[in-house]
Amino acid sequence: MNTSARWLGLFAWLVPLVLFAMGPVVLLLARGAGAPGELGWEWLVSEAGALGNTLAISGGAAVLALALGTPLSLLLFRTDLPLRGAFTVLFTLPSAIPAFIWGMGWLSLASPRAGYLNRLLGEGTLDIHGPVGIAFVEGLSGLPLVLLAGAAALRRVDPALEEAARVCGASPARALLTTTVPLVLPSLLSGAVMVFLMAASSFGVPYLLGVSASPPTRVLTTRIYELVLLGDEGLGRASALALALLLLTPLSLLATWALGRSGRVRLSTGKGLASRPLALGRARAWATGGVAGTCVLLVLLPLAAILLTSLQRSFGASLTWEELTLSHWSGVLLEPRTLRATGLSLLLAAGAGVLVCGLGLAAALLQRAFRRLGAGVEAIAVWPYAVPGTVLALALLLAFSRDWRFILLDKVAFVLALAHTPWLLLIAYAAKYLALGTRNSSEALAQLDPSLTEAARISGAGPLRAFIDVPLPLLRPTLTVAFILAFLSCATEITMSVLLVPAGSEVLGKLLFDLQSYADPAAAAVLACAFVALVVLGQAVLALVARRAAEVR
Amino acid sequence: MAAISLEGLFKSYGATPVVRGLSLEVREGELVSLLGPSGCGKTTTLRMLAGLEHPDTGVIRIGGETVAGPGVRVPPERRGLGMVFQGYAVWPHRSVEENVAYPLTLRRMPKAEVATKVREALRWVRLEALATRRPHELSGGQLQRVALARALVAGPRVLLLDEPLSNLDAALREELRAELAALRARLGTTLVFVTHDQGEALALSDRIAVMNQGVLEQVDAPETLYREPATPFVAGFVGGANVLTGEVREGAFHTARSGTVFQLPADTLARPGPATLVVRPEDLALGELGTSLPLSARLFLGHATEYRFPVDGTLLRVVAPPLEVRPGQTLKVQLRKARLFSVG
Repeated sequence: MNTSARWLGLFAWLVPLVLFAMGPVVLLLARGAGAPGELGWEWLVSEAGALGNTLAISGGAAVLALALGTPLSLLLFRTDLPLRGAFTVLFTLPSAIPAFIWGMGWLSLASPRAGYLNRLLGEGTLDIHGPVGIAFVEGLSGLPLVLLAGAAALRRVDPALEEAARVCGASPARALLTTTVPLVLPSLLSGAVMVFLMAASSFGVPYLLGVSASPPTRVLTTRIYELVLLGDEGLGRASALALALLLLTPLSLLATWALGRSGRVRLSTGKGLASRPLALGRARAWATGGVAGTCVLLVLLPLAAILLTSLQRSFGASLTWEELTLSHWSGVLLEPRTLRATGLSLLLAAGAGVLVCGLGLAAALLQRAFRRLGAGVEAIAVWPYAVPGTVLALALLLAFSRDWRFILLDKVAFVLALAHTPWLLLIAYAAKYLALGTRNSSEALAQLDPSLTEAARISGAGPLRAFIDVPLPLLRPTLTVAFILAFLSCATEITMSVLLVPAGSEVLGKLLFDLQSYADPAAAAVLACAFVALVVLGQAVLALVARRAAEVR
Repeated sequence: MAAISLEGLFKSYGATPVVRGLSLEVREGELVSLLGPSGCGKTTTLRMLAGLEHPDTGVIRIGGETVAGPGVRVPPERRGLGMVFQGYAVWPHRSVEENVAYPLTLRRMPKAEVATKVREALRWVRLEALATRRPHELSGGQLQRVALARALVAGPRVLLLDEPLSNLDAALREELRAELAALRARLGTTLVFVTHDQGEALALSDRIAVMNQGVLEQVDAPETLYREPATPFVAGFVGGANVLTGEVREGAFHTARSGTVFQLPADTLARPGPATLVVRPEDLALGELGTSLPLSARLFLGHATEYRFPVDGTLLRVVAPPLEVRPGQTLKVQLRKARLFSVG
């Protein structure tokens, strides 16, 4: 690529990113930074409770995910546990399905009076409401982040290290605990930091289990939502809280970076090292039982509870065959409101998916073309992913609450009037999930030998033709994966949808939120089942695409 | 008319100069190797010739047409070349015949003609039977042949080869080297061949251009290069000669560091003063006369035995008939034939 074309490309790519993602967030931050002066410090102190709750709940969630994830990742990725593959798939579901739905599941299981578990154990035994319940649900839905970090790290630990410990006289279990575990611990911890961040940005679960509880538990995200509902007067305060929430991201990323650095030194790089799985021996039956029990309790039971709720005439009634009905299903699925929401959601998700792939591929290409500056390009593309949905949505609301007029060359004027339109949702979805397109494309591109494209040039193809004929078909499986991931994320997105859906329109995430919060848990459960079905279907397609992609190589 | 002419090429990456003032002419139908250690600039030179890199200064002509120079930058697709890459660069998403057909499809050739030409090219490299296979089903040697067929199919003005044999095992390398020579004799294409393997270069080339640190050291026919190296580097790299620095005094060579003295053969052209001594392992003799040196190692090579003596921080290698000696023993080493390069 020659120099002027490179810069032109960079400019064309930066304009939408600055206009629709960076700009609004910067404006929000500026406003938030000015808020204490405007509103007085006392007000800020009055919100300290929400900040404290956010920190405590997120910390609790991270600890829970780490405590569960460490033994699970060792069992799943380092031993001869039977059905490892199936367990791994089931244990990744908590991240694939929106946390809000897990919150609904646990509400069905453990709401103080009507929860199914409480009916078995006696009324009021368990209460999922409040900070502990929120941290529990967030920790579970973050569990896959720790598991995946553990799997990646375990793959990079040289099996010879453990073998050396064995030769020195350590028993298998001791060798595992004294060599492998300390080596993968930094990765597991960085996974836990990710859980912390995810929990701090989460809006649906704390709203579901915190706001309606008595006494209510307020966190930063739900406070922001409440303040936004107040209208213009609340926006200043909401911005200040958004700034506080946003500061958690760089702090946590710094922690991850520091942990990653201390861990990376000792892990082997290079390809996956095959290691003989540790034989569990007599403990095998116990371990299998434990993992299966955990899986049933934490993954299958909440989903079953939602299904049961969707089939019950009324939640809380006695559990008999006569009480089961399909009326909620036909009621919800055939309602025009549901159909409208489905239509708009799928359209927006598809549009956002295309944008994510296109802008993500462009980011990856620019990253390669600019070499050193490329890191900056990636940072700009990936950064909105780390911004909590509440903050991104609030930033877009504020920035586009009025119309923007642009005049080009004193002649062409155009107006950007996005307030109260679904376009704002499209922008939010695309910005938030652009990282999926960028990361996937840049990883795939890095694996492509540049000489493949050069060979096409030598064969007589111009730059564009060579790109279309060689890297593009080779990147297609990757782009398909990125599209499906972005599509699923957007179609089931709740936080930004709740804040950004214009009056008179409807999307699935908002509909689920409204049904659960204001209408009828049974109707919400039907929609939740549909979400789960969509996610499972999407994951199956992903697995298929991944297998095909592996065959080409 | 020269098929290729390179004039005063300079190329640096950032502050690091990679090619420094290289000029070279390749005649029609000739096979010229660019030989040198890794990092000497040979691959960069080939890539500039291909149009994948642009020289900072200098002019490149192919068949009399200027393809790179001040204000001229012909892109690779319009240079009419064929190239075999080090990693072969066979497209994994296309079958063997689709790979080979690609350059022809770009030239908008009728389908029937494409099919004929592809079959012919695959016959040259003896891959007719594997035409519909996918690259992941092929071995390294077969991939190499696909790359070769693809590079040749459109009848390129010049064929460029970037270390095409270096990723293959020794036996396969021998076989493909012979095939390449036969193919070349049949097609008469002009070839530029990049390699770091002096054996390969000596066996295949009409002329060899030896490069070192971005500079062309010598361009000559293999035998000339071997017999009359122009610089100590060429002697060391191509002939595997021992290279010692020191001074010539009273018909003898004194090494710089330890001051070890070697008597020079009578027919050596020796001017007194600082010099570099170049002597091949087989031009040294062990016997009654010469410099006493301690033997540090003895390696059995099969056809002969190599003896190593530490001199001035390097090892002086001598190839001689088998002797009953053990490391630690002191032997006498005599120069039978040597070459001196004056320094400065």
